[in-house]
Amino acid sequence: MLSVNNLMVFFENALALNDFSMEVKKGQIVGVIGSNSAGKTTLMNTLSGLIIDMRIKEKRRGGERITVYGEIIFDGEDISETRPNERVKKGIVLCRERHPIFPESSVNENLKISGYLRNRSQVRDITQQVFELFPALVDLKSRKAGFLSGGEQQMLAIGMALVAGPRLLLLDEPLLGLSPMMQNLFVDCIKSLRSESGITVLLSEQFARPVLPMIDHGYVIENGMLTLAGTGQELMDNPEIKAAYFGV
Amino acid sequence: MKKRKERIDRGIKARSEDIFALSSYREMLYLLVPRAIPVVGLLGVAPFLSPYWQEVFISTSIYALLAISWDLLISAGLVSLGQSLFYGIGSYIAGALNHYCGWSPLFTIPVAALGGGLLCTVLLLPVLRLRGIYFAMVMLVLPLMLSRLVEATRILGGTEGLPGLTPFPNQLIALYVVQLAVLAALFGFRRIMASDYGLVVKGINDNDRSVMSAGINIYLYKTQILFIGASVGSFAGALGTHIDMFAGMPGFALDYAIMPIAAAVVGGMRTFVGPMLGAFLLVPLSEILRALGALRIVFYGLFLVVFIVALPEGIFPYVQRKYHQLERWVELE
Repeated sequence: MLSVNNLMVFFENALALNDFSMEVKKGQIVGVIGSNSAGKTTLMNTLSGLIIDMRIKEKRRGGERITVYGEIIFDGEDISETRPNERVKKGIVLCRERHPIFPESSVNENLKISGYLRNRSQVRDITQQVFELFPALVDLKSRKAGFLSGGEQQMLAIGMALVAGPRLLLLDEPLLGLSPMMQNLFVDCIKSLRSESGITVLLSEQFARPVLPMIDHGYVIENGMLTLAGTGQELMDNPEIKAAYFGV
Repeated sequence: MKKRKERIDRGIKARSEDIFALSSYREMLYLLVPRAIPVVGLLGVAPFLSPYWQEVFISTSIYALLAISWDLLISAGLVSLGQSLFYGIGSYIAGALNHYCGWSPLFTIPVAALGGGLLCTVLLLPVLRLRGIYFAMVMLVLPLMLSRLVEATRILGGTEGLPGLTPFPNQLIALYVVQLAVLAALFGFRRIMASDYGLVVKGINDNDRSVMSAGINIYLYKTQILFIGASVGSFAGALGTHIDMFAGMPGFALDYAIMPIAAAVVGGMRTFVGPMLGAFLLVPLSEILRALGALRIVFYGLFLVVFIVALPEGIFPYVQRKYHQLERWVELE
């Protein structure tokens, strides 16, 4: 469904992603595991096309020069220069890290905003699904999103991404700042997304422990470089991973 | 072959943060030349201008003062749409002291600067807690309100204004006073913003809640910055009023509010040099364009739009970057 070939991203002279290649097959849950500053967010921004917008803005302001090389192929089509809004139409939706919600709008309004371009009945159905997926949100429908807790904001953020109608859902650090119990809840949700809605998921995360058991395929990224790849089980059995991410 | 443009800092800059700057003539010149340009450019060129252009230079410098003061306020996150408030209050205080009490400009100007700063700060104190658009709106409304107040109550000469104020002994002295003031504000403000105090001010603009969490009373700092900015603005007003030999309602005119903002945007915000550069570009330009008659504003507006679209970062940050950095193509792999 998605394949990334030899992706290189420079922020000015700093190399954020170095010769990164990966593949996501339809119906899979794929994880990108790495510590802070490994290049996970850069990868997500590049895949969703946000980096094109960042590049233009920085260039106009005379800020950092962003250089992107490499191929991103989605459904057999090279999308490396496609604008982010076009990519969403193709079905790539990114849920950015740190709860990207509209704090001044209510939960319902947030969901409406991200479904604005789709037809009403579809959005109503998916909103219903979101509330089934995250029952905690039902009572908060008319609450201002800025006053939700971190976990509730993350639920809303994923809900918003779903309302945009993804075929490939990119989740950037969905477990950031959540308690272990909450993390398990989200892991279950992501699993059910795949099994019930047939959405392919690519997630980046630094917590390997909850993530590795659920993924079909994983990539370990360090300093922008791919260091290890394999199925979730293979990665879990790998002694280096055990030492680095499980502390065993 | 894949290529990428690489930026490299000039080696000197990396070491010039401290005493190493004094280690060779090259490095000293590297630091001194850019700073000498405004000094020589202002003080050295002025005597050779024709009287007409000297006058233009004076009004340009007054706009430059207002623009630099605007830039100080924006550094603390205070968006001022009413530099004319500072200008008008400064000009009325200096004018009234000269007209009614017969004080010489030597005293009216400093008193107007400090008193104007104080008065503006007190007037704006209630809205200092508000950010962005609210503060901007009040600043826009106050000068309009005050000028109508003068008109309606006929205080301070009403619509006639206060004519026949003491002028400067000659134009060259006026020119030098204004330009020294511009240089003092320019280097002084750059010094303030480079100090730790300036860091707090920048922090208030970036994220005021984090600054509050550090135990700092941000309103105190905002008040101080507002006072300094308003004093400089009032100083410009007091100078302008003695140069024009007239204090009146035009002091609250919208020109004094709009021009500093345009200058700061063209020159590059939050650098102090940028707004000054912008003023020295825009005011003379508008004089030159007088030849075009009615089309003047059209060309002026067109120039502004083209400039902002082509160089949104502003002139000064662009030039500064080119000065500090080399660029070259490098091959990948």
